[in-house]
Amino acid sequence: MYLLNLSFLQFLTVFGSISAFAVALYLLDRSRRRQVVSTLRFWVAAEQPAAAAHRRHIQQPWSLVLQLLSMALLVLAIAQLRLGARLDAGRDHVLVLDTSAWMAARSGNRTLMDLARDRARRYLRALPARDRVMLVRADALATPATAFEPDRRKLEAAIQASRPGATALNLDQALAFARHIQSQAAGRGGEIAFVGTSRIAAREASAPPLPRNLRVLLVPDPIENCGLRKIGMRRSASDPGLWEIYVSARNYGSQPRNVTLALDFGPGGPEGRVAAGSQRLTLPPGAEKEASFEYRTEAAGILGVSLSPHDAFPGDDRAELELPAQPTLAVTVYSAEPELLKPLLAATPRVAAVYRKPEDYRSDDTGLVILDRFAPPRRPAADSLWIDPPAAGSPIPVRRVVDDQPFAGWDSSEPAAAGLRTKDFKLEHATVFDPAPGDSRIGEVDAGPVIVARPGHPKIVVFGFHPALSALRYELAAPLLFANLLRWYSPEIFRRWEIAGGSVGSVKLQMDQDTPPSDVRVTAPDGSQVPFTVRDRTLDFFSGVPGPVRVAAADHEYIYSLTLPQIGDAVWEPPADALKTIPHFPLTLDSSTDLWRILALAGGAGLLAEWILFGHFRRFRQSRVLRPVLLRAKSSDPEEVRR
Amino acid sequence: MPSAPLLDREFLEKLERFAIQWQKSFAGLVGGHNLSRFAGAGQEFLDHRNFHHGDDLRAVNWRAYLRLEKLFLKMFQVEPRVPVRMLVDVSQSMAAPHVQKFEYARKLAAALCYVGLVRLDSIEVHAFSSRLSQRLFATGGRHRFPALMDKIAAWEAQGATDYLATIREFIGDYSQRGLVIIISDFLDDRGCERALEYLIDFGHELMLLQIWADEDRLPPWRGELDLRDAETGAALRLDFDDVARQRYTLAFDEYAAQIQALALRSGGRYAGVATSQPIEDLIFGELIRARGIA
Repeated sequence: MYLLNLSFLQFLTVFGSISAFAVALYLLDRSRRRQVVSTLRFWVAAEQPAAAAHRRHIQQPWSLVLQLLSMALLVLAIAQLRLGARLDAGRDHVLVLDTSAWMAARSGNRTLMDLARDRARRYLRALPARDRVMLVRADALATPATAFEPDRRKLEAAIQASRPGATALNLDQALAFARHIQSQAAGRGGEIAFVGTSRIAAREASAPPLPRNLRVLLVPDPIENCGLRKIGMRRSASDPGLWEIYVSARNYGSQPRNVTLALDFGPGGPEGRVAAGSQRLTLPPGAEKEASFEYRTEAAGILGVSLSPHDAFPGDDRAELELPAQPTLAVTVYSAEPELLKPLLAATPRVAAVYRKPEDYRSDDTGLVILDRFAPPRRPAADSLWIDPPAAGSPIPVRRVVDDQPFAGWDSSEPAAAGLRTKDFKLEHATVFDPAPGDSRIGEVDAGPVIVARPGHPKIVVFGFHPALSALRYELAAPLLFANLLRWYSPEIFRRWEIAGGSVGSVKLQMDQDTPPSDVRVTAPDGSQVPFTVRDRTLDFFSGVPGPVRVAAADHEYIYSLTLPQIGDAVWEPPADALKTIPHFPLTLDSSTDLWRILALAGGAGLLAEWILFGHFRRFRQSRVLRPVLLRAKSSDPEEVRR
Repeated sequence: MPSAPLLDREFLEKLERFAIQWQKSFAGLVGGHNLSRFAGAGQEFLDHRNFHHGDDLRAVNWRAYLRLEKLFLKMFQVEPRVPVRMLVDVSQSMAAPHVQKFEYARKLAAALCYVGLVRLDSIEVHAFSSRLSQRLFATGGRHRFPALMDKIAAWEAQGATDYLATIREFIGDYSQRGLVIIISDFLDDRGCERALEYLIDFGHELMLLQIWADEDRLPPWRGELDLRDAETGAALRLDFDDVARQRYTLAFDEYAAQIQALALRSGGRYAGVATSQPIEDLIFGELIRARGIA
């Protein structure tokens, strides 16, 4: 006699919980309740005192016993109590089917996945009919496709629906999952059968030993494959229009290969693409080589990297990366002497400056507006930089005008004044402003601030002197100040882009600077946030779905085009003592008898009997007897009473 | 913070068309709006009778005299101003198991006072539990009502009911017969039937308004109960199930039927109501059907 669905301990736990609940309800139903009432006269007429009732309750535990017995029978029915020896019962097997990216490789006119499905079906058909099987699809993650299922048609449908994924096989995790799920099942443990190839992700040294009941049904994969491994792109630090591109390719086969790496650029789709470079590489067996390219463009588009000739696994022969456009800041300068400001703005290549005369002023300019010693009738709607404005039109009130004042210093806590150093320079003529509480004092003389920034929308900076007509023009701080101000106005144009192509799975990113995790955003292709960890400037995240993943960290943005399939680096050699063939199980008749129907009927009958003997049924019958009397009493009208 | 008034203005306006009704004719009482079977100085013609010496010549039917040459006296129906006395139960049983019964009784008393005031009746209102207390005299028109309502609202439930002592005191204080309205749950361990019969025997007309909470008639509890009487503090432990509940309700209904029979047998009126029923339904439905007001 044994339980098919539950272990004895699980049965005791379930039955104990139900029993405790039933006993608690039983006691609660009979607990004494204190109540203040208007009078006792009707209560006395209604029922006998509690002492007698107590005696009746002492006899009523038969009701509880009958309830508990019925529940025990029902739980035993759920647990599928069987008569007979457990050895005669079926076993629970876990079938681990490799669905890693490598299974999409072709061997002849079929894929490795087709071959693995065939082997899995053959294994399934070899099992005795009473055995239950759980199908687990395994790539980087192990995912159960079915429960422990005796129905072979469902299992074959699940095998047929299995497709190659995008990640490499994590064999240790898949086998650990299978072992765990088998230990949780109440039935007799069967085999863990692995069907797949021997190409897996590298195993860790601390991996647990392989299970003893492991059967390995390997699909042969003598496939020569070369493929792209990684692609990296970044704009050149010295020339923002130039992309530096690094491509890494690997030979997974056993023969040396000569391959060609070709780059093309254009809009999405095959039309309108132009060649962007090519290189030939010779890859020894198992080796990985890197090639570097340069490509000049400021346009946005798709950069394609192809490896030829193609082989039996075409999934890693081409990758495409999306290149973002280089953003620029539109600056409109209203000045009667534009030559003074041109050198300052020309120092920043990401600025597109337009120079106009003050009489051509328009208040609807976009980007940044620079007003040189000029106060317009209407303030610009966009961000603005005011240079020595007239006192009447200054956006920040003027406190006073000073002459021959030594420059006192920069407020280095302000981002616009970061890193600025000057020494002993005087301002011949400067306007001192009266800043509001939220304004930033970027530069000051003894009498007060002469450069003031006002955050908000629009952002405003006011100079109390002309930087190109004062002693500041001789200082290195002048172009740095303007660069800082442009970064403060529009930080996105200074954002650095790094683009990488790789395979899905776990990604490690070495960041250039310490960035608090709260400033880091990792976004999946569907816009959802991807979980990540940051430790010692290394950001880790996992993406199991092909597509671009964006990592925004401070002024850096990394775009990972995770479109390449992940192919395992290691080749696994199954242990010598593992079973490696389709099994042949002797046919044995199932001599055990399933009792669940009888137990369920008996449990239901017990509950029904309890209800009839002790429960509401008896009260219901009694109420049926008393109801006519009550109704007669209620319907007595005044005339009837008077009679 | 001032508490909300017992009755709102909209409800009071609806009450203005009603008058408290009584069935009996009380000899020697004149004035008022209810008709009496006794003839007197009223407005409504009742009958003719032969003229006797000493009769009021103003009531002689001179037209009949000219035609028949006999003196006939016209008799008119008197509209007596019957004293209306209201006894409101403020015992602790009215506040058990919840305070709704007491609230209901106070509202009902205030509403009947308003009806009486509008018709210029004089109503004496007494709270009672073990004896009469807190006498209020409502007369002089509706403008007296707010002060009266405030006093009724200030009543508190206290004491145990003793109908016999209360009625004895009442009969001793009021020798003139009239209409007695009793608003109560009529729950007295010693019984209230005998006391009510005293009132009937003394010649009073009764209007009994019995109020009960839903829990009083159909207790919602079940299982073992440890009960305590709200007035006497007496305790009772019992096992209460559906069958016992039906017995309880049966006993309660029988008791209510006894009270009703007592009132109707003597020509009085009875209305029983649960506090779950809105007071509007009682006044505009049950009380009109029972001819308590019209």
